[in-house]
Amino acid sequence: MIALARMRTAGFLRSGRALAPLVAVLVVLSVLHGGAASPPASAYGYSAAALFAVLAWITKLVLDTEPDVQRRLARVAVGGLREAAAGLLAAAVLGLGVCLLAMLAPIPFGGIRSPLPGSGEPSTAVGVLLGVLAHLLALLGALALGALSGRAVTRRVLPGVAVLVTGSVLTVVLGLRGSIAPWLAPPVMATARALSEGTAPAAGVLLGLAGWALLWCAAALALYARLRRGRS
Amino acid sequence: MRFEGVWFRYARRAPWALRGAEATVEAGRTVVVLGPNGAGKSTLLQLAAGVLRPVRGAVRDRPAVVGWVPERFPAAQPFTAIGYLRAMAQVRGLPPAAADPWVERLGLAPHAGTALTDLSKGTAQKVGLAQALLAPPGLLVLDEPWEGLDAASRTLVPEIVAEVTGGGGAVLVSDHRGEIAGLPDAEHWLLTDGELRQAPEPCPSATAGRAAGEPPRAGERTAGEVAADDVVVEVVVRRHEADAAVVRLRASGHRVLGVRERSATAEEPR
Repeated sequence: MIALARMRTAGFLRSGRALAPLVAVLVVLSVLHGGAASPPASAYGYSAAALFAVLAWITKLVLDTEPDVQRRLARVAVGGLREAAAGLLAAAVLGLGVCLLAMLAPIPFGGIRSPLPGSGEPSTAVGVLLGVLAHLLALLGALALGALSGRAVTRRVLPGVAVLVTGSVLTVVLGLRGSIAPWLAPPVMATARALSEGTAPAAGVLLGLAGWALLWCAAALALYARLRRGRS
Repeated sequence: MRFEGVWFRYARRAPWALRGAEATVEAGRTVVVLGPNGAGKSTLLQLAAGVLRPVRGAVRDRPAVVGWVPERFPAAQPFTAIGYLRAMAQVRGLPPAAADPWVERLGLAPHAGTALTDLSKGTAQKVGLAQALLAPPGLLVLDEPWEGLDAASRTLVPEIVAEVTGGGGAVLVSDHRGEIAGLPDAEHWLLTDGELRQAPEPCPSATAGRAAGEPPRAGERTAGEVAADDVVVEVVVRRHEADAAVVRLRASGHRVLGVRERSATAEEPR
């Protein structure tokens, strides 16, 4: 499985498909951190939310890079389950690279500031840790959405793009304050809000967000596995 | 490996590509799947390899290691031939060097450093053949393996098939060009419109390639043995369809008296 994930990562990077999402990542990060400095938790919370759609797009690109027949050859070699898992693993590794870039991005821009004394804001270290958590939660949801929009599921190009765009838009719309069904989308917006409230969110809130993200991701990946079973 | 009442279609409203296929492939045997274009040969082979899943029925007792050579090798990948084969060896859990003997044997060494996208069709087909053989397969599925291969390389296919069956593996191969002459002991399956039938007994092969004037093979009756209530129907078929036609006629219960070159049919229409 790891060898297949490595082969797919190499195939994606050599194909040149990484360029467009990389430009998108840089644009998002420079717009986010280029303005006034914010406390780290808030800055990272919104960076995770803004990168969600790009991370889902990267997942789709990684899964769609190899020709359909090559995907079937991989399936014959390692079995259906490990073939699907290797694709997600390759996308996760590349997604983690983007998250690392997002964590480092505020440094050259001077995009984060130390907590104001007496404001109750979390320390910079805690803020950075919260930022790491926010990016990981966004990556989980993005992997699942990207997988569902992959060609192995949608078979044709246009439905795949439709799933990706609709999913990304719904994640924002359903995540807005006062949404009627926030649980239909991964908690990307809810995490960003929780991290920008000034004080550090309570442990219970963080656990709730992590559980929500994990459950949503598990449900979406179960659907992915089910859809992949009948499709080669 | 057994096909148990296998039905398959590509989409819910699509017509059935395969209807109720029942068949068994014994270990150590070669099966040639014959049939016209669009009859479902590739579908059957992909079901055997585990690339497709039956909509109804099941494929049971598939060997653990399956090698599948697709009809067209997916060459649109950013790897060199050797880079690809080494990566596929690692995907199979083998050391990368496991690819090297096959590169030598299939004559890929001069193209090892060439990008897959720059390979000729026949060379790409050899890369497709090599990736299926990296781990000794318990089942080797070859979809039109002769496509694009030059004359020198064509003999490789029967050699490799013999090695796999000799090692106790089963081989399933599709063919619509009458190349099966090289696979003398093969069982023949015939696919027409998604219906799978097995030829009653292994047919003597090479019928299509037999030269004019050659005596009929042992076991074949000659024209002299035609009984009183029989009539002889002479049929002309295209050369590459000859084997399929013989199998089809035999499957329908007819006796095939012989196959000959057109030049040997001296008699003009009476």
